[in-house]
Amino acid sequence: MWWLKLPDNARFSSQSPSRMTLATATQPEEARDKARVSHAGSRRSGPDTAFHLLVAASALLVLVVLGGLVVLMGVGGSQAFRTFGLGFAFHDVWNPVADIYGAWAPLFGTIISTLIGVAIALPLAFGTAFWLTTMAPPRIAAIIGTAVQLLAAVPSIIFGMWGFFTIVPFMAQTVQPFLSHHFRHVPGIRFIIHGAPFGTGLMTAGLVLAVMIAPFMTAVMRDVFAAMPNMLRESAYGLGATRWDVMWRVVVPWSRTGMIGAIVLGMGRALGETMAVTFVIGNVTAVGWSLFAPRSTVASLIALQFPESPAGSLRLSALLALGFILMLLSFASLALARMLRGDTK
Amino acid sequence: MTETDPQVAKSPEVALAVRNLNFYYGENHALHDISIDFPARRVTAMIGPSGCGKSTLLRVFNRMYDLYPGQRATGEVIFDGRNVLERDLDLNILRARVGMVFQKPTPFPMSIYDNIAFGLRLHEKLNKADMDARVQDVLTRVALWNEVRDRLNAPASGLSGGQQQRLCIARSIATRPEVLLLDEPTSALDPISTARIEELLDELKEEFTIAIVTHNMQQAARCADQVAFFYMGRLIEVDSADRMFTNPKQQQTQDYITGRFG
Repeated sequence: MWWLKLPDNARFSSQSPSRMTLATATQPEEARDKARVSHAGSRRSGPDTAFHLLVAASALLVLVVLGGLVVLMGVGGSQAFRTFGLGFAFHDVWNPVADIYGAWAPLFGTIISTLIGVAIALPLAFGTAFWLTTMAPPRIAAIIGTAVQLLAAVPSIIFGMWGFFTIVPFMAQTVQPFLSHHFRHVPGIRFIIHGAPFGTGLMTAGLVLAVMIAPFMTAVMRDVFAAMPNMLRESAYGLGATRWDVMWRVVVPWSRTGMIGAIVLGMGRALGETMAVTFVIGNVTAVGWSLFAPRSTVASLIALQFPESPAGSLRLSALLALGFILMLLSFASLALARMLRGDTK
Repeated sequence: MTETDPQVAKSPEVALAVRNLNFYYGENHALHDISIDFPARRVTAMIGPSGCGKSTLLRVFNRMYDLYPGQRATGEVIFDGRNVLERDLDLNILRARVGMVFQKPTPFPMSIYDNIAFGLRLHEKLNKADMDARVQDVLTRVALWNEVRDRLNAPASGLSGGQQQRLCIARSIATRPEVLLLDEPTSALDPISTARIEELLDELKEEFTIAIVTHNMQQAARCADQVAFFYMGRLIEVDSADRMFTNPKQQQTQDYITGRFG
C-alpha cells in the first residue's frame, strides 16, 4: 500500500505542485495517476468543467438509482422480515387470509421456470447462432437473422396470450394426457408429471420463457461466433476435424465467455418476466416438484396481489420483500456469471 | 550425398501435380488453367502481388474452399494417385495428410499440450505415454520443447507470436502429413521469429513437401527450391529458385522480383 510509505510522500508534499508531479513519476502507479488528475483538474476551463460534472453526474445517477431500489425494497419489506425472520425466504405458506407469508413457493416457481426456460433456450439459441454464422447460405442467414431480431422485439404480453391460447391447451389436451398415460407408474418421473391436466404450470411457463429468451441469446451468440477468426476455424478443419469436433472443441471453448453472457442475459429476463408467466403458470402459491401443476413466480405473484394490498399492510411488505429477494437473485446470477468467466475484477 | 543420389538427380518424384486447374469464387474466375508440379520433399514458394491467386491455390490442395458455398474448382490435382477435387474424397483424411499453417498464429483455446494432441486424437488412438512421446517429439522438432516443457498445461495463448506459430507448425506435422501448406506463415512475426521459422522449413523439407505463399522475395530466395510466379490468376512462370531470381524468362517476373510493380 503506497500511502503507508510515509517518509517518501512527506518529502514530496513539501514541494511545489508542479515539482511534485515530476517527482512522483518514480512513485507507484496510483500515486502518479492521482497527481496527474489533480494537476489536469486545476487547468480545466469553464465549459469543460460543466461537461465533466454532467457526465460524472449521469454516471453517479446509476449508483443512486440502484441504491434507491435496494433501499426501497429493503425498507418496504422490513416489516415482513421482522415478522417472519430470515426464514421468510424459505417458508412455504403464502396465506393472505391468515396473514402468514413465506417466499418459498413463488421463489421456487421463479427458479425452476427460469432453469427450464434457459435449459430449452440454450441449445436452440446455440444451434441457430452456429448455423447462421457458419453454415447457412448468406441470403437465408440474413432472412432468419432478421426474424430472430423481430422475435426478440415482440412484447411479452403477446407471448403471454400466445401461451394462454396455444401452449396451455396443447399441454392440457396432448402433452399431459400422453405423459400421464405412459409414465404415470414410472417412479422418478411420476412426481414430475403429477397433477390434473390444467395445462398451466412450470413446464408451460418454462416453454413460453424459452421462446421469449431464445432470440436474445441467439443474437448475443451470433455476435460471439461472428467475432471468431475464420482462420482459427479453418485451422481446426485443416487438421481434419469434423464440424462436430470444431464446434465442441474449438468454437465452444473459444466463445465460453460470450456464451455465459448470453445465458445470463436470458436468465435475467426469465427471472423477472411477469406478464407472459402470469398468463400461463396458473397462479397457485404451492410448492411441489410437479412441473405440470399450477404454481406461481415472484413476479407474477407481485403483479397479481399488489393492487389488493393496502398501504402499510403486512401483505404489501411481504410483496416488497419478495421484490428484494428477486433482486438479490438477479445479482447472484450476475455474480455467478462473473465467477464462471474467471473475471475477478 | 544428395547430388550423387541417382533418383533425386534424375527427376524428383512429384507430390502434387496440378493440371488445368480453374477456380471460381461464385462468378469470379480466380485461377486460370493452372498446371504445375510440386516436387516431393522440396520447398516450392509461390509469389505474386496480392489477389493473384496464390493463396487460393493453396486452399485448393486441402479443399478448404469446401467450407464456403459458392466456391468451386475444376481440373485435376493429383495427390498420391488420386484427384483431390473428386467429390467423394474423404476430406478429413485429406486434411490430415495435407497440413496447413496460416498468416497469423491460430492456437486453439486450450493448453499447449492439447493443441498438439488435438489433431492426433482425431485420427489416432494413442495411450497417454505414446501421446506424450509424440507431443514431445514434434515440439522438439520445431525447437519449442525446451521453451515450453515446464508449462505444457498452460494456455497456448500465453506464448509469444513466434512461439505460437511454431506451435501451429508442430500441430500440423503431428498428424504426419505428406504435404505442408504455409500461407504467409511469417507475415505477423518479427525478423528473429521469422528467421527461426525459415530455419525450421529447411529441416522440415527433408520429410515434407512444402508449399509456401510469401510476399517476401528474400524469403522465397532463402527457403525455396522452386519458385512460381502468379499474376492475375495465372501462373506466369515456374522455375528453380536460382534461375528465377537471376535469370527469369518472363518480363513480368523480372519486373515483379526487381520491385518495379506489385
